[in-house]
Amino acid sequence: MEKKKKKKITEKSLSMFLFTVPATVLYCVFFIYPIIIGIMYSFTDWNGLSKDYKFIGLSNYITAFTNSRFQNAVKFNIRFTLMAVILIVGLSLILALIFNNSKLRCMSLFRGIYFFPAVLGMLVVGLIFNEIFYRVVPVIGKGLNIPAISSNILASKSTAIYGVLIVHVWLAVAMATVMLLAGLQSAPEDLYEAAVLDGANRWQKFRYITMPFLLPVLSVVLILQIKSGLTVYDIIVALTNGGPGGATESLAVLIYNHGFKEVKFSYAIAEAMILTIVICAISFIQTSISNKKKVY
Amino acid sequence: MKKKPSIFTYLFLICGCVLIIFPMYLAVITAFKPTEELTKSIFAFPSSFYLGNFMEVIEKSGFLNSVINTVFVTVVSCVGVILVVPLVSYAIARNMDKKRYYKYLYYFLLIGIFVPFQVKMMPLVQVMSNFNMLNVPGIAVVYIASAVCEGVFLYVAFIHGVPGELEESAYMDGAGTLFTYWKIIFPLLKPMTATVLIMDGLWFWNDFFLPLLALNKTPDNYTLTLFIYNFKSQTTVNYSLIFAGLLLAMLPIMVLYVFLQKQIMGGLVNGAVKG
Repeated sequence: MEKKKKKKITEKSLSMFLFTVPATVLYCVFFIYPIIIGIMYSFTDWNGLSKDYKFIGLSNYITAFTNSRFQNAVKFNIRFTLMAVILIVGLSLILALIFNNSKLRCMSLFRGIYFFPAVLGMLVVGLIFNEIFYRVVPVIGKGLNIPAISSNILASKSTAIYGVLIVHVWLAVAMATVMLLAGLQSAPEDLYEAAVLDGANRWQKFRYITMPFLLPVLSVVLILQIKSGLTVYDIIVALTNGGPGGATESLAVLIYNHGFKEVKFSYAIAEAMILTIVICAISFIQTSISNKKKVY
Repeated sequence: MKKKPSIFTYLFLICGCVLIIFPMYLAVITAFKPTEELTKSIFAFPSSFYLGNFMEVIEKSGFLNSVINTVFVTVVSCVGVILVVPLVSYAIARNMDKKRYYKYLYYFLLIGIFVPFQVKMMPLVQVMSNFNMLNVPGIAVVYIASAVCEGVFLYVAFIHGVPGELEESAYMDGAGTLFTYWKIIFPLLKPMTATVLIMDGLWFWNDFFLPLLALNKTPDNYTLTLFIYNFKSQTTVNYSLIFAGLLLAMLPIMVLYVFLQKQIMGGLVNGAVKG
């Protein structure tokens, strides 16, 4: 009897261990291993093709920080991310508050339209907008006599970033709205009713009931948007491919160009490592802030 | 209890709707116009529903092949994720309090959430090329591996909420671990499985970066996004053709969205809010 029980436990623990094998192996080979050899290469001068290479320490990192193209890409990403986050969070917050009102007519129609961009691919939408900026918007601009949009805004160095921004926001607002709406709806209705009985005004209700339920989701939305702003790639390839004259060359586009088009393999990985460190830092700050909130 | 929305709210919403629908509207009407009609007016409705553009895209060599490739990648990767990820999550969730191996494994698998794709893309292409995996089945395997982190995170949290009594009684009756998992646990995970399937399915279908890196050299391996991307750069003059191609690429998702909007949005929210 005793022996049998022991045997059963072994079968279970062995099976449990085997359950973890397929995912772990896949993850190690196609996720962790590339990251580790990537980190290694970032300290070498390997260009991706040559047979041998030598360790050059932090040289790639130092070059990256002093390289004007890298600096421009960083500036582009910071500007782009700031504008994108403000627009996306602002718009989606307004929309989520509107959709949270059950008295809205045609609710399902509005929701159906507003949430639609969330399921579309970035590349396909980018290509559609590319045609629209090229052929349609200038026609409207000329018709309404607005010089700013009378020519293709993607073709001008100063305005191309706004073209990319419009498409990015167009795509991202849907998902952010849905998430914020879910946060709003997690606030139980009877809390509001109790607050009304206690004579709370609209602001007090928002401040003390809505906000605590909204904040955790808001911080998730914020972090996701910062991440997607810093790694924006697909829509830039579809819209401008980094042009005109490098005006919309984001970090992700630059890393791709260096790594695959200009055979600066190890250097590109160093640039990607810098991006990773920034993103990790932001994620870390965000999680520690929201953890503090929970304790509170 | 709540106030009725004012007329300005509706005006605001309608403006937004126009901004969202307008690009789609333009794409649709343009795709239905024959070339001669393009020069007249961009905004006018087509005089008839001309299907020639769609036919031309479909008959283009490589289009159907790319659809098959995309369906293959999406289905195989999704099935792979569903076979592999809940399994490891179950083992972790039920053992991480007792055994160190599972606890550390959990954190190890979560590292990937923070790492952007750019940092591993170049070595990854090398690894894939060493294994002779720069092809359609190859990227399916990479997708499964890439979906592990988020999947484990979501499933482990979900399994923690599933009471252990059912499986305990099955173990008492002498059922094997795999049998218990498959017959008792896996069916209970259905809501999370739906969430993961929707999230990952949309990702695999719409993804452009990995196919661009791994498959762009051989047109036989093109996925739909890659086909459209290359098609666009070859076709510059006839843009009704381009719109027809883009609409065909979006069609399956549009149809799914119309019929399953609630489920899709629910799944996406579930995945994103917890993830």
